[in-house]
Amino acid sequence: MREFPRNFGKVFGSGAVFAREDRRGVDFRLSLFQYAVFAVFLFLIAGFWQLQIVQADAYAARANDNHIKSLPILAPRGKILDRERRVIVDNRSSFSVILSREGVQEGALRSIAEGLGVDASELLARLNRFSKRARYEPIIVKEQLNSGEVAFVEAHRRMPNYPDMELIREQRRLYPSTGIAAHLIGYVGEVSERELDTLEFARYSEGDVIGKSGVERTHNETLMGVDGKRQVVVDSAGNHRYRIGEKPAVNGKDLMLTIDLDLQVVAELAMDGKRGAVVALDPRNGEVLALVSRPTYDANRLSGRIRAEDWREIVNNPFNPLLNRGIQAQLAPGSTFKPIIAIAGLEEGLIDDNFRVSCSGGASFYGRYFKCHKKGGHGSVNLHTAMAQSCDVFFYTVGNMLGIDKIAKYAEMAGFGSKTGIDLPHEASGTVPSTRWKMENYRQKWYAGETISVAIGQGALTVSPIQLAYAMGGLANGGVWEEPHVVKSDTGKLEPHKANWNPDHIKSVVSGLYAVVNEGGTGIRARIPGIPVCGKTGTAQVASNDLVAATKDPDLYKDNAWFFGFAPCDHPEIVVATLFESGEHGNLAAPIVRDVIKAYFDKKNRGEISRRQPARVQTASSHPAPVALPAAPATPAEEVDGRPDEAQP
Amino acid sequence: MRVDADRLLIDSPHERQIIRFPWWVLLLASLLAVLFQIYVPATFRFLNFLEMPLLLVVYFPLMWRRQILGTTFGCALGLFQDTLSHHPIGMFGIAKTLVGYFTATVGMRFEVDHWAVRFLLVLFFFSFHRVFYWVLSNSVLHIPLELDLGRMAISGLLNAVVGIFLFNILDRTRESA
Amino acid sequence: METLLTRYRGVLVLVLILAAQLVMLGVQVRNQQDIRLVRVWAISAVTPLAMILDGAKSAVTDAVEGYVDLRSARKDNVALKSQVDTLRRQNEFLKAELATADRADRLLEFKQRIPSRTIAARIIGTNAAPSSQVVFVDRGASDGLVSGMAVINGTGVVGRVLDAYPNTAQVMLITDPSFAMGVISQKGRVVGTLRGLGQRRCMVDYVESHLVVEKDEWFYSSGDDRVFPRGLPIGPVVSVAQGNAFQDIYVEPAAMQRGLDEVLIVLEAVHQTVPPVATEAIPPLAPAPEKTLEELPEVSMGETSATPPAEGAAGANAAGVPPGSNATGTATPAQTHTPPARSPLATDADRLLDRYRRIGQSQNHPFGGGSVGTPPPDFNRAPAPPGAGTAATDATTTEPAVAGPAVTGTAATGTGTTGATLPGVRGTGAPAAAPAGASANTTIRSTPAPSPAAPVKAAPVKTAAPNQR
Repeated sequence: MREFPRNFGKVFGSGAVFAREDRRGVDFRLSLFQYAVFAVFLFLIAGFWQLQIVQADAYAARANDNHIKSLPILAPRGKILDRERRVIVDNRSSFSVILSREGVQEGALRSIAEGLGVDASELLARLNRFSKRARYEPIIVKEQLNSGEVAFVEAHRRMPNYPDMELIREQRRLYPSTGIAAHLIGYVGEVSERELDTLEFARYSEGDVIGKSGVERTHNETLMGVDGKRQVVVDSAGNHRYRIGEKPAVNGKDLMLTIDLDLQVVAELAMDGKRGAVVALDPRNGEVLALVSRPTYDANRLSGRIRAEDWREIVNNPFNPLLNRGIQAQLAPGSTFKPIIAIAGLEEGLIDDNFRVSCSGGASFYGRYFKCHKKGGHGSVNLHTAMAQSCDVFFYTVGNMLGIDKIAKYAEMAGFGSKTGIDLPHEASGTVPSTRWKMENYRQKWYAGETISVAIGQGALTVSPIQLAYAMGGLANGGVWEEPHVVKSDTGKLEPHKANWNPDHIKSVVSGLYAVVNEGGTGIRARIPGIPVCGKTGTAQVASNDLVAATKDPDLYKDNAWFFGFAPCDHPEIVVATLFESGEHGNLAAPIVRDVIKAYFDKKNRGEISRRQPARVQTASSHPAPVALPAAPATPAEEVDGRPDEAQP
Repeated sequence: MRVDADRLLIDSPHERQIIRFPWWVLLLASLLAVLFQIYVPATFRFLNFLEMPLLLVVYFPLMWRRQILGTTFGCALGLFQDTLSHHPIGMFGIAKTLVGYFTATVGMRFEVDHWAVRFLLVLFFFSFHRVFYWVLSNSVLHIPLELDLGRMAISGLLNAVVGIFLFNILDRTRESA
Repeated sequence: METLLTRYRGVLVLVLILAAQLVMLGVQVRNQQDIRLVRVWAISAVTPLAMILDGAKSAVTDAVEGYVDLRSARKDNVALKSQVDTLRRQNEFLKAELATADRADRLLEFKQRIPSRTIAARIIGTNAAPSSQVVFVDRGASDGLVSGMAVINGTGVVGRVLDAYPNTAQVMLITDPSFAMGVISQKGRVVGTLRGLGQRRCMVDYVESHLVVEKDEWFYSSGDDRVFPRGLPIGPVVSVAQGNAFQDIYVEPAAMQRGLDEVLIVLEAVHQTVPPVATEAIPPLAPAPEKTLEELPEVSMGETSATPPAEGAAGANAAGVPPGSNATGTATPAQTHTPPARSPLATDADRLLDRYRRIGQSQNHPFGGGSVGTPPPDFNRAPAPPGAGTAATDATTTEPAVAGPAVTGTAATGTGTTGATLPGVRGTGAPAAAPAGASANTTIRSTPAPSPAAPVKAAPVKTAAPNQR
């Protein structure tokens, strides 16, 4: 065997031994050359390896896109908090397991089925259903694994004879399980194709999880983070071989609501087993303190993939749980509308505090007899008593004096007939009938007789609970309506609208509302010792008496009960409106409002509300206090803004 | 030092004698080395820094000074070690093939009986072997291994020390040329 | 023939050999296949030698240790060692007044029962790779070993069988990076997945941040993975930290702390990998040890074969309460160790709703109802204690949010009326209850619902309770 140096000598020279120094130099250069050659070889081998072994996958993957998996790194949505940063909606991690169908043995499959708690034959059937798809395409075997199942997958994923299993982590929304504030909050889901075509969601792409309703939808952009992405090359067995690139996710921002969970849960409890809605507002700044709609639903079930039976259950419910009755129910307000008639009468100068009407249980207008709810009649009543006793004849009379267009004018000033502008989707505007309205919608002229029904909140008039709370809160607030909103950051941003109503007139109306609750009126159930609560009951017919008599299920057509209340009467800090569908009488809705108001003041007594400053009521006052009540002495009027601004156009 | 350095290099071809070993020494040493590797650390955990097969792959090719023989020996021992592991076969094979080749090449240039040469060579090839294995594992198998350089250095030194004694023992089994 | 070929023969051979091996490696990597046959040959060839060496070692050890029968001496030694373990544990128990002596007896009993379903094996070699966490044992497929079987020893989980060869098997240790198993914490019954990291410590993954895991508490196998029977000790928690989405919990596997020698391979548990699911609860993986647990008196306390998570720890205790763990008497573990009732699937809203519901209940208040004249509820009163005893902590967790400020508020105004009734009643007509002698800090948790009928005057103003909170 010849050695390199010897060969070298032979090739390059005489074959004689080189001089010692020379040979060393040559040896050295030769070694360098040798190592260089070797390095080149290594380089080539590395390149060969890259091309043939490693990149082969990538090239194949590019040719057949299934081999590059782009795994989203889902950005968690922001939490939804109440006004005290208590968590209403949280996130939780959830795992799904996907299974590669390559090398699946039936034994292993059975074991997997057992480990995951799914039916083995069902799993087999599922695999067969996917048999047309490419084998390397993994399928989701089970979603929302519990920790034990996660452990099972982790322990078995690399076991011999087991197909490759992979855990996929998702962030799921965690809604209150009891359906608290479900309508207000809404739920999330994958953006649908139809939604992608709309302007609102055009910037999202398929598979994105977006808010579908409630604040989840209106504040989707705040809540939604930006998903990251991880691209991995997947080998034939579904193993992640290596990562091509990664873009980290940007988490969504938390959203703080104006909702006070204490009031919200009390309202929820008060509505348990009932149908209807509760809306609580702070009339001083428009903050929504509670918004309840019943029947409710478990938003957890509607988020993500909806199970068919859950969907069917909700859709087939005749009472439509998805309807947010707080802002979407449009129903006749009944007697709760009477304060509007009263203020209209006062403002128009048609009546004053001493104006009296004699009620004998009914009265005839335009040839038709309109009954009062009290058979024997109330006798001679003025505004105060008429309000307290909810005397229909009094308001028939005043309404008749006003005429429909004046009624409509004042109703619209108070916010009826148009959306309040609350930052929730699909708010209903209700209907305030007028001659023009009838002409536009029915091409008919208004009959004066129709006005009589409207005067007691029946007929074509419809309102939503939020409108009622908004209108009455603004009225009690001295004719200043703050736009309702549920997101805390909107407080103080929105301009109120004002009506230039005489504070004395407002005082008269409020004093009547005080009597409703505290002076033996219809709303006595809303009375809270020590707290001046004002309110008004309302009982609205759903169908004509004939129809009720004809139907087999009279429960369906039971009268709706309404109640709104606010407190303290002179400077209301909270106004609560409730709709109790099929509640039969407004006085049965009163305890709902009472509980919410009580919760508010109990909380205030605990010192938890005292620091709460209304956003925009501190403007210098040029008017005296609108109300001064015997039972609840009015404090100085620095909180009411009665500037003679232009009323709503 | 200059004198020392001079003595470490081989100057003339006739100094590069080829040293032979009886075949049974080769076989037994290899077997024992691999057995040591899988058996001894199981009982004496502190001994798991030792890389007996590597020491052999440094020693024999160094003595033989024949590249092909060294390459083959490294390959064979490496593959044997591979079969007793649970990673794909060829990882140790490749690493040790290279070590065998290089030690044989180096043997042609250095005074291989000198303890300092042996010490440095073991230290160097131990590190080379570790790093190369690490590179292979990370690039070829995509198994991210940790490379603890401090640990590697200490293990390398210890192996070098053990190597000097082991090589002295093995020196006695030489067949005189 | 002095061509280039001959001149560069060395390099050429090197390149060829390297290329061949690379191709071989490539084939294995790409196809995810193992050249198993070669391995079987090599392992079969080496195993007898290893066993001879092992035998030699034993012989030497035994010779040194005495003149008695070699095998039995070894066995005695092993038995004594384990007995020492047991006694040491027992000793710690007693010292800490954590358990009674007969429990330690039962531990021994338990240990003795294990072998009937397991097969003992000796570790005869480590893997040839330097960083390897795989060892060889002297039992193989011929002894009934199958890949996936659990490997344990007296102190806890060792690993699981990776591959079984005719007379030997590879065991992946618990510390191997590809190892994973289901675990459950001793105190909080927190369930997670343990993974090896290639270091001494292992990590418990997938533990959500609201769950409570304490340092030094032990993790046990949960049985969820259907490889390991429930209740085998793993090791103590050495560190807990809040991670990104899950907690970073590190556990030091107890079985790995001393050198490994003898292990038990659980044969039947693996045959039961897929037991017929008879009950709705998660079925225990291994009927073998589970049954043993059942037979233990202190385990059978409330323990059924269905083994709902809450009770499994009794079994865990039986498997050996680790030294230093503050196991309480058997009568109260459920209460002491119940995790805070912050259910992972509830938000503050749910908890608050529950609180208000209980407030209503305690005052017989129908929310949103009541006839004319019924007084409105007082929402500032303490709620009725929840029905289930375990939920007691719920009240405590939500208490500060609602009741806390109330107390301070009253303290400030000086109208505090009673100890038990949270003020805010303001001494108005609202009835207040004052169970005398209610202790200050535990009032909310332990006092019964204040009876509305109790007269106001009964309130001893001396009670300092509210002010102390």
